[in-house]
Amino acid sequence: MNHSLPHNRNRKRFLLAALLGSSLLLAACSDSGKASRAEAAEKTAHGTSTIYPASDYAEQQRGQPGGTLRVSVASDPGSLDLHAISHTNAQWLGRILYDNLVYLDDKGNISPWLATSWDISPDGRTYTFHLRKDVTFSDGTKFDAEAVRANLEHMRDPATKSPLAAAYIAPYIDGTVVDEYTFEAHLREPYTPFLNVLAQSWLAMESPKAIRDNPKQLGDHPVGSGPFVLESYTRQQGAVFVKRKDYHWSPQQVRHEGPAYLDRIEISFVAEPLIRYNSLAAGQYDLTIDAPPQNAAAIRADDELAFDSHVRTGAPYRGLTFNTAQPPFDDVRVRKAVTLAIDREGIVQIVGFGEYLPKTDFLASNTKYYDPSFRDALKYDPQQANKLLDEAGWTGRDAQGYRTKDGKRLSAEVLSPSSGTTTPVLAAIQSDVKKVGVELILAQLPTTQVTERRNAGAYQALGAGVWHTNTPDALYILNHSKEITSAKRIGQNTAQLRDPELDELLEKARRSSDPAQLQDLYSRAQKRLTELVPGAPLFENSSSIAYHRYVKGLVFDTSHNTVYFPSVWLQKEAK
Amino acid sequence: MKLLKRIVWRLVAGIGVLWGAATLTFVTINITGGDPAIAILGGPDALPTQEVLARVRAEYGLDQPLIVQYGHYLERLAHGDLGESYRLRIPVTRAIGQQIGATVELAVWAAVIGIALSILFAILTARRARWVRSLSSGSELVVSAMPSFVIGILLLLVFSFHWHWFPVSRTTGWKGMVLPSLTLALPVVAVLTQVLRQELEDILEQPFIVTARARGMSDIGVRLRHALRHAMIPIVTLSGFIFASLLGGAVVVETLFVRQGIGSLMVDATTNKDVPIVLGITLLAACIYVVVNIVVDLLYGLIDPRIRVT
Repeated sequence: MNHSLPHNRNRKRFLLAALLGSSLLLAACSDSGKASRAEAAEKTAHGTSTIYPASDYAEQQRGQPGGTLRVSVASDPGSLDLHAISHTNAQWLGRILYDNLVYLDDKGNISPWLATSWDISPDGRTYTFHLRKDVTFSDGTKFDAEAVRANLEHMRDPATKSPLAAAYIAPYIDGTVVDEYTFEAHLREPYTPFLNVLAQSWLAMESPKAIRDNPKQLGDHPVGSGPFVLESYTRQQGAVFVKRKDYHWSPQQVRHEGPAYLDRIEISFVAEPLIRYNSLAAGQYDLTIDAPPQNAAAIRADDELAFDSHVRTGAPYRGLTFNTAQPPFDDVRVRKAVTLAIDREGIVQIVGFGEYLPKTDFLASNTKYYDPSFRDALKYDPQQANKLLDEAGWTGRDAQGYRTKDGKRLSAEVLSPSSGTTTPVLAAIQSDVKKVGVELILAQLPTTQVTERRNAGAYQALGAGVWHTNTPDALYILNHSKEITSAKRIGQNTAQLRDPELDELLEKARRSSDPAQLQDLYSRAQKRLTELVPGAPLFENSSSIAYHRYVKGLVFDTSHNTVYFPSVWLQKEAK
Repeated sequence: MKLLKRIVWRLVAGIGVLWGAATLTFVTINITGGDPAIAILGGPDALPTQEVLARVRAEYGLDQPLIVQYGHYLERLAHGDLGESYRLRIPVTRAIGQQIGATVELAVWAAVIGIALSILFAILTARRARWVRSLSSGSELVVSAMPSFVIGILLLLVFSFHWHWFPVSRTTGWKGMVLPSLTLALPVVAVLTQVLRQELEDILEQPFIVTARARGMSDIGVRLRHALRHAMIPIVTLSGFIFASLLGGAVVVETLFVRQGIGSLMVDATTNKDVPIVLGITLLAACIYVVVNIVVDLLYGLIDPRIRVT
């Protein structure tokens, strides 16, 4: 080998460039065609809340049973014990394997599932669930009040090491099995999002027998009461689910009767976007979750394929989160100026290829109680940004054109993890704010170091952030002063925002169950946030799928707008 | 007796290498910083309570001084216990056990294809017309300079997405093995063919080849019966390189072709800061490397009597 390797270094570079060029060219050839802006955009860009048609959330016709659906998805959740993970795929995986106590209807109200009804005590601290009597787990165990108790205990058991479910039910003290099918949950304080979170798959019902006998095996051998059971789970490769023939307890909202249509669902973990797109187009998969936005135009141009994008509920994608406890972002005028200086339309083109919806307020537009009134408060306005910075005293200029005050440059470090897609977004933000004389220094560090500094509060700003949940309580999780990371717990209020007015609004909302009052409280909270500017919202975060047109019956989950697989059917047998 | 002594000495050195690898990985991981408890609990998207954090720190011994952690770590290693994966929540030995079969299968396919193709190309091109040799060594250069990521994507674009001959990821049956093992084998073929051809060309000028030809043996017969055995020596010499290339390539190939295996497990573990898995795979690689080297050393003697230990 001594004569083969050393002398080709220059050549190597040239060949690599040529090859990469040709592979891109090959990929690009199939990309040509009529480019069109997202269907989702047409549905939504009316200047109000995003309202999807009711047909997205309920079955329109009975499907043909049979067949295998081949699905590709970007990443492996690592474990199928959904209580023990926070992975985003849990939401749709949960609808395959498990059921929940409740579901949301297409207006975001709580609707029955394994619990047929519930009563809430006047003090809001006792929830009594009346359960279905005909539900079994796939290991034969009956679903009953004891099963609910065992599940809530499992979620908060420190041994489960739950990163999400435990926090979502933090106010839960204990539960009483009133009778076989009546369960009473006691809360420390009133917490109306309780029912919403119980509709999320991270809080799905697992077999109490499996929890008791084999808690360590749940990730590999999950046992639920859902419409499919796991046939095999091969880490880093895929998972196969087979239909449960005796299933007949779908959520009422979906209007699906009996077992799922599909016999099997085969899921493959395809990390590379180029491969996800091409293998779908070549017919090796029927549907892909995580459809790459760069291929959306090509997919739409293809008569056999369809692309679909739904906004995820909760908080939108933030480009920056300001540390409001440290200079320079302890001054709200600076925070607001930076946010006004960001040209979102441009950024959306760069990273979303026209597929993303620009966003200037703090709640996803399809979240219940979203109020569109304040959507223009922070829209692109460099003139106003300059004015605010002048008012804040940053009137000097240094040799490089950055603003100064008392000889100090207006500069801040933005901390972000060294992987992921944040870099082009942050680079665009950096160049936008430079135009109003603000310097942003991008510090990209390994994720664990970012997390460590984040938890220590040692940063001026953080790049990138989303929080998806099916309730406007996302605002509490991200902005209430109790959610600041402390010695007691890790929290998501990374802006370190401490605003008594906002705190009070969000606390009241947690205690209220009156829709009119909730609308008022959440509207005022949203308004207050556009005044406080804890971060710079950039675009709505969407979940995008692409599929062959013979895949029918696409119903979306009311909780996170992911695919609800039990309703999916195949018009023709897949090859 | 001398052979035995040599084996024992090799083994002792091998254990030294393993200890070195274990220590180096431990140090590297600990100087990069970051709280492993947060990584265990799912990274920045998690909302763990302090109770859960404390539980995790205690369970994984993260609340103890580094030197104590290192001691425990070596002690557990000596018992063959590699700890529990942060992300998968299962023992590392089980996680690796679940994946290693697939990697071995892929590597064996790739090694067989790689060696067979190299021998074939070398025999066909050694001491042939100038243009044959230029074409051959030219393409070898191109392939050996290409990252396997690019090779894999090109093969996929042509044979899977354009012509639909082979699937990306169906793992049942031989069809799903073709593209991944070819991607893994090609860089090996590129290097091995060059070495084999060089070797063959030297041998084909040796007097005993002339003798064989004089006996009226056909050209192909000479190449196959006489030259090839000698040319096998570089394959043994290069088996370290072949092994390293296959293992390194598996990282890319498994991810690209949606295969389970040690490579994709390593990628996943690195991305998610799953320290015990990274340590486990590093040690496994070091282990295999030590064994391969010992075996190669012994094989020399078998194939080439001139090097036989006396």
